[in-house]
Amino acid sequence: MRSILADAWLIARKDLAIEFRTRSAFLSAVVFALLAIVIFFFAWDATAVAAIDLAPGVLWVIFTFSGLLGMHRSFGVEQPDRAIDGLIASPIERESIFLGKAIASLAFVLAIQIIAIPAVGLFYNLPLARVAVPLSLITFLAAIGLVAVGTLFSAMAVNTRLAELLLPMLALPFFVPIVIPAAQATAKLMSGRPVGDAFAWLKLLVAFDIVFVVACTLAYPFTLEE
Amino acid sequence: MPHNESYYYTAYVVATVIYVAYAAGLLFRWNRVKARLPGKDE
Amino acid sequence: MKPTPLTIAALAAVVVTYIRAIFFTPIEAVQGPVQKIFYIHAPAAWVAFMAFGLVALASALYLWLREDRLDRIAESSAEVGVVFTTVVLTTGPLWGKPVWGAYWTWDARLTLTLFLWFIYVAYLVMRGALDDRAMRARYSAVLGILGALLIPFIHLSVYLFRTLHPRPIVMKPSAPSLPSEMLTTLLLAFGAFTLLYIALLRARYRYAVTRDGANPAEEHRAS
Repeated sequence: MRSILADAWLIARKDLAIEFRTRSAFLSAVVFALLAIVIFFFAWDATAVAAIDLAPGVLWVIFTFSGLLGMHRSFGVEQPDRAIDGLIASPIERESIFLGKAIASLAFVLAIQIIAIPAVGLFYNLPLARVAVPLSLITFLAAIGLVAVGTLFSAMAVNTRLAELLLPMLALPFFVPIVIPAAQATAKLMSGRPVGDAFAWLKLLVAFDIVFVVACTLAYPFTLEE
Repeated sequence: MPHNESYYYTAYVVATVIYVAYAAGLLFRWNRVKARLPGKDE
Repeated sequence: MKPTPLTIAALAAVVVTYIRAIFFTPIEAVQGPVQKIFYIHAPAAWVAFMAFGLVALASALYLWLREDRLDRIAESSAEVGVVFTTVVLTTGPLWGKPVWGAYWTWDARLTLTLFLWFIYVAYLVMRGALDDRAMRARYSAVLGILGALLIPFIHLSVYLFRTLHPRPIVMKPSAPSLPSEMLTTLLLAFGAFTLLYIALLRARYRYAVTRDGANPAEEHRAS
């Protein structure tokens, strides 16, 4: 078990090193998120809907789509020269490949959120400081679920003819039980309700994370040839 | 009692059309595949 | 494709159901004639979910036993299942508009069915995008199982969402206790559409066998 995690960490570091060197995917995702935040603001009548009511929706929609951008690159980087074969041939458990890539994607998604959430707070004039801790927890839990499912489907979609269409098509239904609790809990927090009110949603999020991290980790080896 | 027969008829027709269209499509695909079979070995 | 006894029985059962529902079942007093959509809507929903259950089961068995038969069963059940799901999603709004005032009200069950439809479609599109048969079977099996895992989470999320955001409804359809004539029609409908599902499933499976060029006598060979 320990070697699985150690190997996963190696793979995660490799992926993050690649990403850090070029930064292209990260920058694209951040710019996309910021532009989307701005466009959303102009997309509705600010006199009809208060920014604070719209913000949770905007936040989590952007989380989902910028997350997808990050997910696509997860196995996308292994496509040139079929680099994935090298990983599979190496003496590590296949689950490590999955976990390593998931961890790298987790770092990627969280890094985007560290920029996107304050940006939403800035543009929508939200009282983020007092909800920073619970919001960070929600984001972390949501990101785990997103990354578990997204990494698995990235591994699968990348081998199909319609990779860019198929990844969102496969993943988005699975993102819904993440986005609903996250957005509802965020809305509760923003409107000044006590943290306990959001607790039921958090439990659902944690349950989803546990089930799908386990399921996707176990499923990944089945997507590879014998 | 409300008079909403049009929705009721439409629903039955739509459902029937969907089932029939699928069955017809299946028949069509079956015939196309059968035509390719003789001499083809996989 | 010769019509088998099963196919004939299924068609006969559906025709009898239609006749009974349209001509020999009383009209419900509050909703009016539109309530009769129930007799095609509810059985289709039952079949839609049952069909996905078979997809999930066949998927799990495929990953364990690696028999092509199981992949063909899953593929067939998915395609027939999406047809029934489409019927649910078209008849539901047609029933909802006169009864609830709107075609779509994010009703918990219909929303869950919508997600089922999305999962089915993703399954079929993914299969269409994969030419390698073994990879297609493996990936489909994974998606079939994960989709089944997803359904309870969608159900719970939507249910919690709905109870916290109740929507005003004009009338509540499908009263829990039906008069006996309506109940009989409903049960007949369930039986007939289940038969229809089995008949279509079998036909679709036979098509898959022919398409794959596999000899039916050799089906028992493990892949």
